[in-house]
Amino acid sequence: MSKDMKFLVVDDFSTMRRIIKNLLIDLGYPNVAEADDGSTALPMLQSGQFDFLITDWNMPGIPGLELLKAVRADARLAKLPVLMLTAEAKREQIIEAAQAGVNGYVIKPFTAATLKEKIDKILEARTNAA
Amino acid sequence: MSSTLQQEYGSIVATLSDALAAGDDALFLAELDGLVRRREIQLFGELRKLTIDLQTALDRFRVDSRLVDLAEKEVPNAKHRLDHVLKLTDEAAHRTMDLVERCGPLAERTAQQAGGIVESWRRFRRREIQIDEFQRLVLRMDGFLDTARNDMEAVRGNLAEVMLAQGYQDLSGQIIRGVMNLVGELEVALVELVRLSKTGAAAPKRHSDDQQRGFGPIIPGIDNGPAVSGQQDVDSLLAGLGM
Repeated sequence: MSKDMKFLVVDDFSTMRRIIKNLLIDLGYPNVAEADDGSTALPMLQSGQFDFLITDWNMPGIPGLELLKAVRADARLAKLPVLMLTAEAKREQIIEAAQAGVNGYVIKPFTAATLKEKIDKILEARTNAA
Repeated sequence: MSSTLQQEYGSIVATLSDALAAGDDALFLAELDGLVRRREIQLFGELRKLTIDLQTALDRFRVDSRLVDLAEKEVPNAKHRLDHVLKLTDEAAHRTMDLVERCGPLAERTAQQAGGIVESWRRFRRREIQIDEFQRLVLRMDGFLDTARNDMEAVRGNLAEVMLAQGYQDLSGQIIRGVMNLVGELEVALVELVRLSKTGAAAPKRHSDDQQRGFGPIIPGIDNGPAVSGQQDVDSLLAGLGM
């Protein structure tokens, strides 16, 4: 994995997508695409050669949890690193996301340091597993 | 004749008939009075029930017409108002980020130019500088001071605009308060309607759907069940699950 990694940021709020995109660029990941919900994101993921998915939970259309399940159910995407970045903070939701195969979970409001830490950790685990 | 009527009136009619045959006027009249009173009590009961029903219908009509008003005018209005709040916050966030993005390169240019001068300046301070390098330093310093002043003036202007852009909070706050009042009124009308309808069975919970779709941010004072209090809490929860 390198800084050329291709990220997909999925959030229904364009301001949040912009904030995440800017933070990723600051972290040295300039290759970032955006989608505004799961139904737009899924076809992009299926054809777009993405290396990392950052998704919100609460979105119109297909919400984040359903997107995560769809990703895990697709043989070509099953191993894609998925970080959930959401305001959803109920314990049972976090457990459900973990059971659905999420690789990291960050709650909003978040800091740049937390985002970096979680991305690094996920990528580190990927490298060790490879 | 049905058995209920037979049971209720059989003995009275028999007594009346017997009293009439026996010429017992007093017993006949007393029994007849009793019969009339009994019918009156039933009639008043029915009348009272009718009156209550009429009152409920009138109350319900009053609540219904307010609800119709709320549903037809005020709720769509509230949706527009909240849409406007979304638009205001969206615009303010983008405006702020535009301004911050414009400040970045200006600050970077100042830092870079200062970095380019600092080494020559230190040599000058240590009296180790040659005359031609000094002349170049003075020229660069002239350029730097002009650029830095212009750049920092622009940054200052941008920062003032960032401050102004936060004015959306005042406007959106007022709109949200108006919608909160409407929600309060709607709640009162609905509670009143439920009371009048006396629908005992509660509507089925949409728990699983909410769970799937999400609840939105935790709002202090609104309890949606056990929630984490911050990122540390999330991390320890996930660590407990082996992640």
